[in-house]
Amino acid sequence: MQSTTQEFDVCVVGSGAAGGVMAKEFCEGGAKVILLEAGKQVDPSQFLSHMWPYELPYRGLRDEKQALFYQGDVRQSIRYEDSDQIGMDRIRVLGGRTVHWNAVTPRYAARDFREWSLAGVEEDWPLTYEDLTPYYERIEQMIGVCGHDDGLEIVPAGKHYLPPLPWRCSEVILKRALDTMGIPVISVRKAVLTKPYDGRPACHFCGHCMSGCDVSAVFSSATAMIPQAKATGNLTLRQNALAREILVDNEGRARAVSYFDTVSKQEKEVKARIVVLCAATIESARLMLNSRSPRHPNGIANSNDVVGRYLHGHLGKGSYFYLKELEGAKPFNQDGATDHVYIPRYNHLAGKKDYVGGWQIQVNFVSYMFPYQASKLPGYGPAFKAQVRRMQPALLFFGSFGKVLALPENRVTVDPHHLDADRIPIPVVRFRFGENDRAMWHDSDRSLLEISSRLKCQAFLDTDSPPGGFASHEVGTVRMGKNPKTSVLNSYCQAHEVKNLFVTDGSCFTTSAEKNPTLTIMALSLRAADYIKEQRRKGEL
Amino acid sequence: MDRRTALRIIALGAATPQLQLLKAAAHNHANLNIAWTPGEYKLQFFSEAENQMLDELTELIIPADSHSPGAHAAKVSLFADLMVATGEESEKSKWRNGLRMMGEEADRTSLAQALAKAAEHEEHPTTELEKFFTLLKQMAINGYYTSEIGIHQDLEYQGNTYLSEFPGCTPTP
Ligand SMILES: Cc1cc2nc3c(=O)[nH]c(=O)nc-3n(C[C@H](O)[C@H](O)[C@H](O)COP(=O)(O)OP(=O)(O)OC[C@H]3O[C@@H](n4cnc5c(N)ncnc54)[C@H](O)[C@@H]3O)c2cc1C
Ligand code: SF4
Repeated sequence: MQSTTQEFDVCVVGSGAAGGVMAKEFCEGGAKVILLEAGKQVDPSQFLSHMWPYELPYRGLRDEKQALFYQGDVRQSIRYEDSDQIGMDRIRVLGGRTVHWNAVTPRYAARDFREWSLAGVEEDWPLTYEDLTPYYERIEQMIGVCGHDDGLEIVPAGKHYLPPLPWRCSEVILKRALDTMGIPVISVRKAVLTKPYDGRPACHFCGHCMSGCDVSAVFSSATAMIPQAKATGNLTLRQNALAREILVDNEGRARAVSYFDTVSKQEKEVKARIVVLCAATIESARLMLNSRSPRHPNGIANSNDVVGRYLHGHLGKGSYFYLKELEGAKPFNQDGATDHVYIPRYNHLAGKKDYVGGWQIQVNFVSYMFPYQASKLPGYGPAFKAQVRRMQPALLFFGSFGKVLALPENRVTVDPHHLDADRIPIPVVRFRFGENDRAMWHDSDRSLLEISSRLKCQAFLDTDSPPGGFASHEVGTVRMGKNPKTSVLNSYCQAHEVKNLFVTDGSCFTTSAEKNPTLTIMALSLRAADYIKEQRRKGEL
Repeated sequence: MDRRTALRIIALGAATPQLQLLKAAAHNHANLNIAWTPGEYKLQFFSEAENQMLDELTELIIPADSHSPGAHAAKVSLFADLMVATGEESEKSKWRNGLRMMGEEADRTSLAQALAKAAEHEEHPTTELEKFFTLLKQMAINGYYTSEIGIHQDLEYQGNTYLSEFPGCTPTP
């Protein structure tokens, strides 16, 4: 084992949404930071986003554009047991999933932190919307968010938005229909630059955000946070550094992180006064469970057996509507920046339901290049071909994301007998949707049918398939909480049992709303960073 | 369609300012190993006879018309060969058997009638031949609409560009 003699102030593990914020904040605060990142950088000049399908080996149908970001055997080295239809999104690249995310950034509402108090399910978070508000405000300004304040309580707005994205014709038509139903549709808030900001150029409306933005107009930790951390001279960045274990001293406090250099194939170790895990929901839990020692025989900070439990994410589904009004139009460029409008949760407006939670709808984030209707229309031959063509300009797409309850029996564990290519025990996932999840999802189907009947359209809805998840929104495995018996972290993402260990990626969520998690992940990271800086000043850490 | 919507859409199609500078950056992928070069493509899985049948079948599914060429011109059968050759083992036998069944059916009637029979219960396929139709049609769709002909000539897709502004839909339709 190679070990450096230098002791760093902070070791951050993972450079995604959470890790980018942490590295930047600590470096700018003057701390010496080492950032361990399992993947390596893919420069935006190497992104395949603007390639035509026929320029790619398999026309892009085998995920060629995204495969660059999933390095090593990360996609294979996981096992699902006794699970519903779910998939975990484990990435391995500098910048984490922000390298190809869709950047929709709703804030959680005040009610989303208080499920127990308001709905009698799950648990309240150990912090409130008010506690997080200043950090939401700051993070939105750091990453650049376009949008608009529509005065809706369910999606509280910030004060500093870049101009909203212009609405497409299909979205204007959608609003007309939703207005008659009392369902709000608003300009999306997302971390896409509608004008130059923070040294990055404005969006050029190619719709390729989820293949990686070649000009960094969509926020990515790799191109927005890491360079700023580097510029301070305080960052030591180790790429291809797969953290294996958190090592502890005699009192059980974190003292170092051991990692495997996936290029030199050497085991290494770095010493740090504070360890911050930002390796995402599956990896952070795996890392903690694999960190066994006499002081922590059940994995670090896990004497209560909560690490790995409460795994959850979003129910997800796609619906395709072809609007009669746009059928047969002369083809026009609708790419834009994926979603331009957003339908916030609305089921609560119609009074109490016999289930808890709701869904949001993201609109038009699929590519406009491929005719999805072709696979859905019956028949073949000249009439079929002509009909596919006629319908092509008329697409309106919905992606619905629904709340899933956080339950202790849904969990990730590790299998010490099954090692991955780097000889680390693989994660094993067990997950079942619950009755409440299904009831809510069923009601969302009913609502989709109602919306489709108000739109003059041909609709392709999927109300038959079993529920599926998690839309890359998995969270919860190292949860925060007021009660140390049922949680791992306090409201500052600090482990109850190990004071110099913090976890600020998505795994720290207590519960989930229907909203995309990442803005909240970054706001929580900022808040944790402030707390750590304050504690260091006081000499407490 | 509402007349104002129509006008606006036509205007959108025409007004697409391009940022050539940025575009140059996008084609900087010298390292990419592109397996797809139809001009020199050699069959890897299907026999010449199978390829011939596949070519005719896919052309029946997406034929040339007065608007654009069809699956034959887009060389969809070669795309199918690449995908099957490099795909799952279990898929390979489905293709081999499927084409054999089509061939047998066509010997009794014609290829067009064999395809019509296979497509008869598309919504709820039960026979092996009907199940093969689902596979075949999806392959035709995937191959054709990801080809230059499908994207540019048939659908006349206007995107994948660099715009300095996104025009949106005004006036309101
Ligand atoms: C296509 C797509 C679209 C999305 N759209 C949205 C959206 O619109 N809105 C939204 O809010 N969210 C979206 N998401 C989800 C969003 O990207 C994630 O919620 C967010 O990135 C999670 O942040 P994180 O810091 O928890 O983890 P990640 O961003 O996944 O970062 C984890 C990092 O840790 C590294 N790592 C993992 N294991 C180790 C290890 N053992 N040692 C060292 N490093 C390690 C990884 O390489 C990675 O860099 C999307 C995701 C995808 C894939
Ligand atoms: S749509 Fe805009 S933000 Fe998204 S990839 Fe294209 S340029 Fe980047």
